[in-house]
Amino acid sequence: MTSELTVGTGAGLDTADMVLNIGPQHPSTHGVLRLKLVLDGERVLSAEPIIGYMHRGAEKLFEVRDYRQIIMLANRHDWLSAFCNELGVVLAVERLMGIEVPDRAVWLRTALAELNRVLNHLMFLGSYPLEIGAITPVFYAFRERETIQAVLEEASGGRMHYMYNRVGGLKEEVPAGWTTRARTAIDQVRRRMPDLDNLIRRNEIFLARTVGVGVLSAADAAAYGASGPVARASGLDFDLRRDEPYLAYGALDVPVVTRTTGDCHARFEVLLDQVYASLDLAQTCLDEVDKLTGPVNVRLPKVVKAPEGHTYAWTENPLGINGYYLVSHGEKTPWRLKLRTASYSNVQALSKLLPGTLVPDLIAILGSMFFVVGDVDK
Amino acid sequence: MGSVVGDPIKFVLNWGRRYSLWVFNFGLACCAIEFIATSMGRHDFMRLGVIPFAHGPRQADLMVVSGTVTDKMAPAVKRLYDQMPEPKYVISFGACSNCGGPYWDSYSVTKGVDQLIPVDVYIPGCPPRPEALLHGIMKLQDKIAGEQSGLGGVNRTDVKALTAPPVRRP
Amino acid sequence: MELPGKGLVKGLAVTLGTLTQRTGTQQYPDVEPDLPPRTRGVIALIEENCTVCMLCARECPDWCIYIDSHKEEVVVPGAARARQRNVLDRFAIDFSLCMYCGICIEVCPFDALHWTPEFEYAEHDIRDLLHEKDRLEEWVATVPAPPAHDHRGEPAKEQTAAAKRSGQSAV
Repeated sequence: MTSELTVGTGAGLDTADMVLNIGPQHPSTHGVLRLKLVLDGERVLSAEPIIGYMHRGAEKLFEVRDYRQIIMLANRHDWLSAFCNELGVVLAVERLMGIEVPDRAVWLRTALAELNRVLNHLMFLGSYPLEIGAITPVFYAFRERETIQAVLEEASGGRMHYMYNRVGGLKEEVPAGWTTRARTAIDQVRRRMPDLDNLIRRNEIFLARTVGVGVLSAADAAAYGASGPVARASGLDFDLRRDEPYLAYGALDVPVVTRTTGDCHARFEVLLDQVYASLDLAQTCLDEVDKLTGPVNVRLPKVVKAPEGHTYAWTENPLGINGYYLVSHGEKTPWRLKLRTASYSNVQALSKLLPGTLVPDLIAILGSMFFVVGDVDK
Repeated sequence: MGSVVGDPIKFVLNWGRRYSLWVFNFGLACCAIEFIATSMGRHDFMRLGVIPFAHGPRQADLMVVSGTVTDKMAPAVKRLYDQMPEPKYVISFGACSNCGGPYWDSYSVTKGVDQLIPVDVYIPGCPPRPEALLHGIMKLQDKIAGEQSGLGGVNRTDVKALTAPPVRRP
Repeated sequence: MELPGKGLVKGLAVTLGTLTQRTGTQQYPDVEPDLPPRTRGVIALIEENCTVCMLCARECPDWCIYIDSHKEEVVVPGAARARQRNVLDRFAIDFSLCMYCGICIEVCPFDALHWTPEFEYAEHDIRDLLHEKDRLEEWVATVPAPPAHDHRGEPAKEQTAAAKRSGQSAV
């Protein structure tokens, strides 16, 4: 296509469209997402997310690692929900091998997964206001994060990458008194969450920036395969923890937080309310853990080999549905382990959401889609 | 230059440089989260004179490369490093930027940011804990204190002399 | 209709409340952090326990462990033939590559490797991050005692083994 650019008096009121490149390294893209925008003045005409800046070839690397080594690589693609990622892999392998995981391990896993969800949501609850100009909430969010991270570090030894799951259970038993300390941490976070809540939820400036901005309809969310908080804010009432329970979720009453407006504020509110819900769930799980005795893992053969076959395990990760399609040819390593990541689908909706918005709103929308670039690019 | 300015001036220059490091966070992956955690209330690296409010590389003295550098990202890393004014320092934070780390056999990952830009301090960990970053920063400050720098910064080894040729746009 | 500015006032009330509280900042260089014993900081090697079985090097997802050894003949008095014994020449871990997963420590059959929470070993030169045998042994002094397991779960493997051993010796 050729285009002619006329400037000066002959140009009249027509203005030339500008192509603006945001990213890959830009403070407000939290990560290295690149957006190619065509702008008419302040208004976005079209937006194209360019991904691949964080592509590390994890799926290919899975094929040359045994299952224990995969766990440690799998928790790194979505670095904010490491525990939930590990979970997807081990669930797939356990299903293929037909391993029954001990009850105590199941409940501990559920508790840890919920704590990990809180950690993930707190990160976004802090970073999203930061991106649109409110710097204070992130300090409160990280204060809570440190509290929960300390508990998780005590059990697993890692602050971010726990490496605590194993095929057939957990790596080892939690230290004595850990459940009590975890409960104290949960209470502490629950007591202090109103700080964050009061600061930002009904803040006038925040409301002005987010209410009615970037409305994603339920139909669009479904069409793009969006899931998790992003889809639930649009009224798509779908949560694997309730609809297709794994781990111990079947025995729990999982409250699904939904909104119907589908704007940035609804997405933020879903995240915020989800934190309270997850804290309650984690507490219930810990109570259950205290009632159970027994081992937290099963004895495995010296060489773990998944029998020939294939399986698809999907879990409700903090950011949405993560799927793990495992194809095994009966060897030590999988033949293929395909990832279906939540952020990848959620980011696609951007090309639908962004056209027609103003540049300042663009940042608000981008931040409210809650994605992790490593999860997009794998 | 070192001979032009005397030792007391040099001391003052180095002293000023080491305690007002405007940091530019090249946050790429997991380690960026730990970097943010370090800048938050609990660890608070402003105590050490590290200021995380640089608007961009042009205003920064210190670049912290935290996370996996991919081959697609490499030109941007090099470009932003070139935009930084002298004297400039680089901290490589975490296994990925040290030498590829968990992705050592990946087809799309640069095996270490030191193939692109000179690095002053390597911090091991995957990701390193916030205290490790604080330790790395203090290590860098010690290095700056002992520098024979003049007004224009330090003479550095040429990037071309590093192990691999720098990545160029095709 | 909400009062205008109510949200802002609520936010400022939080700020005011926090103002009166103690700060949570850890004074790291002056005060050492209190780290849990399971923290994965650096790996310590107890050389006497190593039998050069190479399990750690083979299981490492990064191949960041380097082991060299040679065989030595040990003449056991009374035995018909001299016994072969592996002698460790070099044991090095490249901490620039290590991804701190702990698989090597898990697979070590003789507990030669241990986690310690130390983290202060950043270097100016990447080659110094390759810790040789003597450096890895220096870390041994910092290995903390493992925490006791929750009494509802199973005790640690080492504990069960020790109990069994002492039980056998008593019989």
